[in-house]
Amino acid sequence: MAKFETPLLDDLEKGPWPSFVTDIKRQAKTKPELEDLLGQLELSYKDKETHWKHGGIVGVFGYGGGVIGRYSDMPEKFPGVAHFHTVRVNQPSGLYYSSAYLRQIMEMWERRGSGLTNMHGSTGDMVLLGTQTDQLEEIFWELTHDMNTDLGGSGGNLRTPSCCLGMSRCEYACIDAQNICHDMTQTYQDELHRPAFPYKFKIKVSGCPNDCVAAIARSDFAIIGTWRDDIRIDQAAVQGYVKGELTPNAGAHSGRDWGKFDIVKEVINLCPTKCMSWDGNALKIDNKECTRCMHCINVMPRALRPGVEKGCSILCGAKAPILEGQRLATLIVPFMKMEPPYDECKELLNKVLDWWMEHGKNRERIGELIGRVGMREFLKAAELKAIPQMVKEPRSNPYIFWEEADVPGGWERDLAAFRKKHPL
Amino acid sequence: MDIEELKAKIMEWANKSTKPKFYFKDMGKAAPEVGLREIKKAVTALVQEQKLELWSSGSTSMYGVKGKGLTEEQQMGKHEE
Amino acid sequence: MAYDPKNPMKDRITDIGPRHYEEFMPPVIKKNFGKWLYHEILEPGVLMHKAESGDEVYTVRVAAARLMSVELIRDALNIADKHCEGYIRWTTRNNIEFMVDNKSKLEPLKADLKANPMFPIGGTGAGVTNIVHTQGWVHCHTPAIDASGIVKAVMDDLFKHFQSMDLPAQVRIALACCLNMCGAVHCSDIAILGFHRKPPFVQHDLISSICELPLAIAACPTGAIKPATVDGKKSVSVNGPRCMFCGNCYTMCPAMPLMDAEGDCVVIMVGGKISNRISAPKFSKVVIPALPSTPPRWPETVAAIRNILEVYAKNANKYERLGEWAERIGWERFFEKCNLPFDVKTIDDYTLAYDTLRTTTQFKFS
Repeated sequence: MAKFETPLLDDLEKGPWPSFVTDIKRQAKTKPELEDLLGQLELSYKDKETHWKHGGIVGVFGYGGGVIGRYSDMPEKFPGVAHFHTVRVNQPSGLYYSSAYLRQIMEMWERRGSGLTNMHGSTGDMVLLGTQTDQLEEIFWELTHDMNTDLGGSGGNLRTPSCCLGMSRCEYACIDAQNICHDMTQTYQDELHRPAFPYKFKIKVSGCPNDCVAAIARSDFAIIGTWRDDIRIDQAAVQGYVKGELTPNAGAHSGRDWGKFDIVKEVINLCPTKCMSWDGNALKIDNKECTRCMHCINVMPRALRPGVEKGCSILCGAKAPILEGQRLATLIVPFMKMEPPYDECKELLNKVLDWWMEHGKNRERIGELIGRVGMREFLKAAELKAIPQMVKEPRSNPYIFWEEADVPGGWERDLAAFRKKHPL
Repeated sequence: MDIEELKAKIMEWANKSTKPKFYFKDMGKAAPEVGLREIKKAVTALVQEQKLELWSSGSTSMYGVKGKGLTEEQQMGKHEE
Repeated sequence: MAYDPKNPMKDRITDIGPRHYEEFMPPVIKKNFGKWLYHEILEPGVLMHKAESGDEVYTVRVAAARLMSVELIRDALNIADKHCEGYIRWTTRNNIEFMVDNKSKLEPLKADLKANPMFPIGGTGAGVTNIVHTQGWVHCHTPAIDASGIVKAVMDDLFKHFQSMDLPAQVRIALACCLNMCGAVHCSDIAILGFHRKPPFVQHDLISSICELPLAIAACPTGAIKPATVDGKKSVSVNGPRCMFCGNCYTMCPAMPLMDAEGDCVVIMVGGKISNRISAPKFSKVVIPALPSTPPRWPETVAAIRNILEVYAKNANKYERLGEWAERIGWERFFEKCNLPFDVKTIDDYTLAYDTLRTTTQFKFS
C-alpha cells in the first residue's frame, strides 16, 4: 500500500513516454523516503506550488560547490524528505560508462541516498538527488576513495566542464573534445571546488560547428572544433547522392517523401556563402569563401569531410537572460591548434579569468562584463589583436574613447602657443 | 605579505563586517595591496582551519565567519529537528 | 578505512576530478577513436557509424526521463551487460545509447529494449528528441512550474515525432521551471518556461529571526528590496513593480516565498537554435506570454506546442529550422499562421529591446 494517495501523479503513469512516476513508485518499495517524495510532489500538483526550501551551508568540508542544500517545507508530514540534498558527481567526458562503475555508484546511492538521480543535470554532472546532511561526508569519502571520482561544481565556481562525444564516435569532430574537457577539468580543480569567481563560469567543448553541447549558447568559454583548409570531396560519392544511391543527410529525413534529392536546391542554394557550384559532373567549393556551417557535410557525409588542418574557434561570454539579457558567445580566436597539453588555450583562459576576477562585479558573468566595459578592455587584457572576424559589422557610431597614446603629439599642449594663434 | 598576517587581516575584516556572509571579491578589501590569488590561498587555509565556512545558493557562493549569524537550523524555522 | 567524523582531514582525498573517459569506452569505440568515416540513421533511433578500419558500430538510442531511479538504471545496465559488453552511454539530451559492434547483435538488443516500455527507441534525425529540462517541483525551491510532469505530458503528445523523422528539420524542445533558466532554454526551437508573476511575500513577524536581512536585500538583482521597520520589528519592503520574479531573495530567506498557484504561469518561446548550420545560432522568442499552469497534464501548454509544431511541419522547407522558417515568412506571418494573438507583452522592453524593433517599411500585411 502506498503511504499517500497520488491521483494526480497517477495520471502521469499513462501514455507512451517513460513515466517518472511509475519509476519512482517501484523504487519506493525499497526506499520508503520516496513515498514521502511522491506525497510531497502530489501536494505540489494539488497546490501548484513547490514545497522545497533552499539551504546553503551544507556541503563537504573545504569545497564550495558540488552539493545543493534542500529542505522540505512540510517535514512533519513528509519526514523522509525533511533533508533532501543534492550531490553533483563529475561526469566522465562524453558520458560513456561501464556497467561496473555505474553499479558501484548506484549501490552507494541506494545505501546513502534516496536512490533517485538525474542522468544528467543541465551542466552535465550526474546528479544524485536527495540525501541527509550526515551522509554528505560519507558519500564524498566513498566517491573519492572507492570510486576514484570527484564532485562537480556549483555556485561561483568553475562549473563542471562538459563536451560532446567528440572523436569517440563522430566523423565530424575536429578536436578531441573529450580529452580537452577532461584536461581542463583536471587543470582547474581548485577553481572548480573553491569559489573565487564573481559568479559561475562554464567551459564547454564541441567537436564541430554543429555544437551538440550548446557551447555557443551557454558557456563563458566555448571551444568549438573547426578546420582551415579545404573540405575533402569524394566526387564519386557526390554522384552517388545525386543518383539516389546514397541517402542524403544520413537518413535524417527519411520519414517523409521529400522527392528526389536535388543537389542544387538542397545543397548549392542553401550554402550561406554561395561558395559551391555543381555542373552536373563535379562539385566545386571555393573554400576560401566557406564559413564552415556544416550544412553540405551534414547532407552528404559520405562525400564531404572537414579538412585535415583542424583546430578550434574560441568564443566567449554566452549566458541565459538573467540578468542583463541573453548573450551568445562571441568570437575571440578564429583558429587555434589544440594539442595536449593545450598550453596556448590555457594561457588565454588564465588571462581572461584574471581580468574577470579583478573587474567583474559580484554576480556578473564575463559576457556582461564585456558588455559593460567593452571589447577593447577585454582584448587588452586577453592580449588579443582586434580582427574583423570578431564582429558582424564595425561600429556605427564614431564615439571612440581615444587614449592619449593613440593621438599624435599626445594630450599635453602649450596653451600660450595656442593663444598666440587664437587670441581671446 | 606573510600568509599568517594575511589570514589575520582577513579575519579582522570579516569580524568587523556588519554582514554575516560575503562574496569572495569583497574579502579582497581586507588587504587591497595583495592580489585575489593570494587572498584565495589565505581564505582556503581559513576554511581548512574552520574559521571561515562556505555558503552556496547553488548559483553563487559566499564565505562566512563560522559561528557568526544565524545557523541553518534557525533559518529553516521551527520545523527543523 | 572509512570516514572519521572526528577527524575529517585524515586520509582525505580531494581534487581528483572525474574518472578518465577512456576507461568507459566500448572496445570498438576505443579502437576506432578519431577514425570514423561516416554515419547513417538506419531507422528512427538506430545509427550505424563506419570507421576507416571497416569496423561498424550500431547504436540504439532510447528515451529516458532524466529523473531516473537506481533500479531503472540497473535495468539499463542489465541490457548493456547482456548485449553491449557492459558499456552504456548517455546523450547530452538525456537519451541512453546502447552500442554493439556487429549488425547481428542489433535485433536481439532491440528486442530486449522493446520489451521494456521505459526504453522507447527513437530520438534521431528530423524529429523531436528528448526534452532537456530542469528539476521543477520534485526538487527545486524556486520553480514556477513542474518540469518532469510537463515533459511527460508534452512527449506523450509528441511521441510519434520521437519515433519518426518526418519534420523539416530536428526540433529541440527545452524546459526551464523559472527565469533563472538552469536549462538554458534561450536557444531552443521550442522552449517552455515557468514564470512567477507575483512579488514575494514578506513575513514581517518572523523575517528578522530566520533571515539575515542584509543578505536578503543584497540578493535582489534589481534593488527592489529595502530595509524597513514594521510594527517595531526590523524587516524589509519589496518594490513590486521592480521585481523580476527571480526568487533570489527566497533562496537567501525562507520568509520571502514567491510561488503562487494563480500567478505562476507557462511562457512559450520559439525559434532558437544552437547549431551554426546554414544560419547563425539564434535566441528563442516569446510568442505566448502566459498560459496557466495546470497539472497533471498542462493541456493548454501541450496544445500550444502541438499547434506550433504542426503548422511548422506543414509549411517549412526541408532543412529549415523553426526559427529559420519564421524569419523567412516574417514573424507577423508566423503569428497569423499559428493563429496566435499578438500582445504588447510580446514586444521586448528589457535590456536589448531596440534590436528587436522593426526599422524598415518592409513588412507584411496580416
